[in-house]
Amino acid sequence: MDYDIKTLHPLEIKLLLNAEEENISAENLVGKLAFKPGQYNQAFSWLSAKKLIEEKEKTQRLIYEITDIGRDYQKNNTPAEKIFNLVKDKDGALTLSEVSETLSLENKDTGAAFGQMSKEGIMALNEEKKVVTKSKEVSPLMKAVRTLLDKGAAAGEVEESTLTADEKQAISGISKKRGGGSAPFRIVEREDVVYRMTPEGKQVKKQLKEQGVSGNEIGSLTPEMLADGSWKNATFRSYNVNTPPSRVLLGRLSPYSEFLDGVKDKLVSLGFEEFDGPLVETEFWNSDALFMPQFHSARDIHDVYYVEDPRKAKDIQQPYLDQVAESHKNGWKTGSRGWGYSFDKEFTKRLILRSQGTVLSAKTLPNAKIPGKYFGIARCFRYDKVDATHLSDFYQTEGIVLGEDVNFKTLLGLLKMFAEEVAGATEVMYVPGYFPFTEPSVEIHIKHPVLGWFELGGSGIFRPEVTEPLGVHVPVIAWGLGIDRMALMSLGLNDLRDLFTSNIENVRLRRSK
Amino acid sequence: MPKIEVYEDALYKYIGKKIVGDEFVKLLSVAKAEFDGREGDVLKIELNDTNRPDLWSTAGLGRQLRIYLGGEKKEYQFFSAKGSAKECGNRVIEVDPELKNSRPYITGFAVKGKGVDEALLKDIIQTQEKLCWNYGQKRKSIAMGIYRSDLFKYPVKYTAANPDKESFVPLGFDKKLTLREVIKQHPKGHEFGAIISGLDKYPYITDSDGKALSLTPVINSNDIGAVVEGDKELFVEMTGTDIYSLMLATSIVACDFYDAGYEILPVKTIYPYDTPLGREITAPFYFQQPVKADISYVNKLLGENFKVNEAISYGTKMGCKIEGDGNNLVLYPAEYRNDFLHPVDIVEDIMIGKGLTTFEPIMTDDFTMGKLSDATIFGRKVKNIMIGLGFQEMVYNYLGSSKDFIEKMNIKGDDVVKILNPMSENFEFLRPSVIPSLLNSESVSGNAVYPHKIFEAGKIAVKDSKENYGTITINSLGFLSADKDAGFTLVNSQLSAIMFYISAAYTLAEVEDPRFIKGRCAQIILKGKSVGIVGEINPLVLESWGIGVPCAACEINLDLILDLKGE
Repeated sequence: MDYDIKTLHPLEIKLLLNAEEENISAENLVGKLAFKPGQYNQAFSWLSAKKLIEEKEKTQRLIYEITDIGRDYQKNNTPAEKIFNLVKDKDGALTLSEVSETLSLENKDTGAAFGQMSKEGIMALNEEKKVVTKSKEVSPLMKAVRTLLDKGAAAGEVEESTLTADEKQAISGISKKRGGGSAPFRIVEREDVVYRMTPEGKQVKKQLKEQGVSGNEIGSLTPEMLADGSWKNATFRSYNVNTPPSRVLLGRLSPYSEFLDGVKDKLVSLGFEEFDGPLVETEFWNSDALFMPQFHSARDIHDVYYVEDPRKAKDIQQPYLDQVAESHKNGWKTGSRGWGYSFDKEFTKRLILRSQGTVLSAKTLPNAKIPGKYFGIARCFRYDKVDATHLSDFYQTEGIVLGEDVNFKTLLGLLKMFAEEVAGATEVMYVPGYFPFTEPSVEIHIKHPVLGWFELGGSGIFRPEVTEPLGVHVPVIAWGLGIDRMALMSLGLNDLRDLFTSNIENVRLRRSK
Repeated sequence: MPKIEVYEDALYKYIGKKIVGDEFVKLLSVAKAEFDGREGDVLKIELNDTNRPDLWSTAGLGRQLRIYLGGEKKEYQFFSAKGSAKECGNRVIEVDPELKNSRPYITGFAVKGKGVDEALLKDIIQTQEKLCWNYGQKRKSIAMGIYRSDLFKYPVKYTAANPDKESFVPLGFDKKLTLREVIKQHPKGHEFGAIISGLDKYPYITDSDGKALSLTPVINSNDIGAVVEGDKELFVEMTGTDIYSLMLATSIVACDFYDAGYEILPVKTIYPYDTPLGREITAPFYFQQPVKADISYVNKLLGENFKVNEAISYGTKMGCKIEGDGNNLVLYPAEYRNDFLHPVDIVEDIMIGKGLTTFEPIMTDDFTMGKLSDATIFGRKVKNIMIGLGFQEMVYNYLGSSKDFIEKMNIKGDDVVKILNPMSENFEFLRPSVIPSLLNSESVSGNAVYPHKIFEAGKIAVKDSKENYGTITINSLGFLSADKDAGFTLVNSQLSAIMFYISAAYTLAEVEDPRFIKGRCAQIILKGKSVGIVGEINPLVLESWGIGVPCAACEINLDLILDLKGE
């Protein structure tokens, strides 16, 4: 089987094409390839990883790299050479400390250099403790050091294998392994690897030759090439189409809002018109207009958020206020006996954060078309501890259907339509429900293909005590759908808080199913 | 919605037979009840209908299910009615005139029979809790006490007592406390004391010798008010502020005791002031009125064509007597029910009695035109432009803290809408702008690859004294770029692109806003009105949020632009 040569970099291709099968090393390739230093090692390591070449032999070398001090000594002489030259002119005239002073040397450096030379017998102290010379020539050691410094300065380094015995002895005194610049030479251990091609490497080389691939193929097409036509004689390097692509940051909708938009579009396609309203509402629209008595247990201070300032609306639209108040009190003209308490017209003005989407249904009634279908996806607020299944603000999907022929059976038909069209239910089950503002009331449970049985929503026919005071004289279906579970499922989540997350990366990576 | 726990065997006994599994769950739906699981032989059941407190006990739930299945409907002969009070002997409650304006009503009846056992005692306590909490507004409008009637002497006295002079030993204590001390020291005082602590005199029930029964609605006395297993003679009392709900609750408990095999002995209350039911009322008292519904109304609402007799046969399965009167159905509410406000309530009983699943769903053929709101259509248009500009849409919560919405934003926050009764300081304000939501994202997203470009088209709300509600909700677009070179130049170009594509010819006017760097912030002016703000976020604000990358942001009032464009 052919090797996929698109996975090879141009450096690898050129190296394979130009290398011998045995003895592949940078040294042997210099001259054949115009690689930059470092590119050899890159190519060697990539090809080794692909098992196209393998190590043949490895040799350790000891190298002495010249340091800044070494270069200084080479240029301006070593302390010993300086002392030797000085004393040659002023034989017996200077003490050791005077030598140091004259040459600006540290006393210890002067001492070390003198000690060495005195040991070698070319320098001594006389009775007056003055320095005298014993030889016209520098010592063999000093000669060797000088040779090393000159070689080192020229090549940057000297190789141990090229040194004479004297030089070897000399370098050991002026080189250090670590600690860089404190000696004239730094000792470095170097490894030379020689590679050879593996059978697969040979095969690839053959393949490259057969296919005429040179490694000089064009990478990017440039405007210049288009302008001068040079592309016509060029071949284009084949890319590895399986190289992992780099990440693109793109603009996109939040998948949660996409889900909600999908529900909106579905409802619009089913003939519903969208309504909306303010986040701050009155007790009147939030509860009173829905015939929930002002003493109702769900209207406690611990169920609704009150606005601190202002506390109350300026007024409530008439004649609805009076009609609703009378309905609560004695049923007004609705045929009801009412709740039989005296309605508080100040309490009803109290401002709250709307706690149910049904507010919008109630507010739509006075101006609703007949027949009419309405819906809204409304942000609502609840006095709940926030956890995986409760949020302090969240969306509710609610609406109404008005019509002369609205009745209990069309209510069931509507729920069936929602179950099938909005939720994709495979089975539905109806059970009697309870809402303070509808009678009769029904809950619909559905069997979802993924989620199994759950309560999709509630619905009912608005009580006449709700519709009549708001000027509506036909039956009205009020409905609400719980779509949160479907949203979580669609987004692969299981915590409601994640729908409203602030984490940018989470939203970027989130997809709907 | 109340949840109750019932002993399985006791419930089956009331139903008259054992029903399990799916059939049981289905049967429960007749009472709008849901099976919530079991623990040993105790069933947990949730009751959804807040207007049917009669269902919140083992006896009451069992009664409804039994009657629905065609079982015995008991006759409750012990009820008095207007003009026909039952004999009550010396069992009388006398009411202090001073209670008229505080907690004016009290009812009572006595119970006699076999010694109460643990199951019944638990059930009674549960009924008391559910009735008084869910139906009686947490004891504000209904509180109930049960006593050992062999330990006290009639007439019972319902008095307005001096909280510092009267004292008794409250249940669970071993020393006498004044009424005021009871409220301060007893756990129930902490829970319910607020209902009466503002009164000059506290509602206090004693026997004829002044021996304490209870400090209603807080706590019973430790002797007369300590009912234990084996007690055979009990006295039940309820006090409250609404005579009808109080009377209904009394009837419910009396029927429950009767169904459990006890004799109910009526007790008369004598008021020194008028009540809607007169000055002398013998309880249990039947106060309900018959309700009428025309058969054509029933049929129109149900989409059916029932005859009067058919409708009656379905409706009576729910426990109330219904008579035919020409085309009318006349329903007489059962003693323990008072949920018939309107003929529509009869319709529901007929529907459930017949069986909800027997009704055929039909599609309405009314034609209506579906339509998105103008705000949604415009919002989508703007969102599409934002996506074209490379922005990621975010969806945020609208409630937050003063720290996030005000302090970190370096603003005074005078126009921010504050919640009077927040549950926690984390959710105390309605957001006045989308920008803090966006900055909050930045503060938690330092690990996300840059550049960040995020936006939300959502609602904000601020105070506005011109508005009827003193506040205004606005559909607002907020967007923010965070990157090492995000600045005014960038956000200004983005703004310009948005305004071009929504055809809004705007100008910029430099403005000082503490959220932005001075000299790098401008108001967006359209037809002479400010429709938004654009600028480079003040490093002081970035520091408060703990954001280490420059941010440039813009916020636009979409509602106002839509209005101005329409002009």
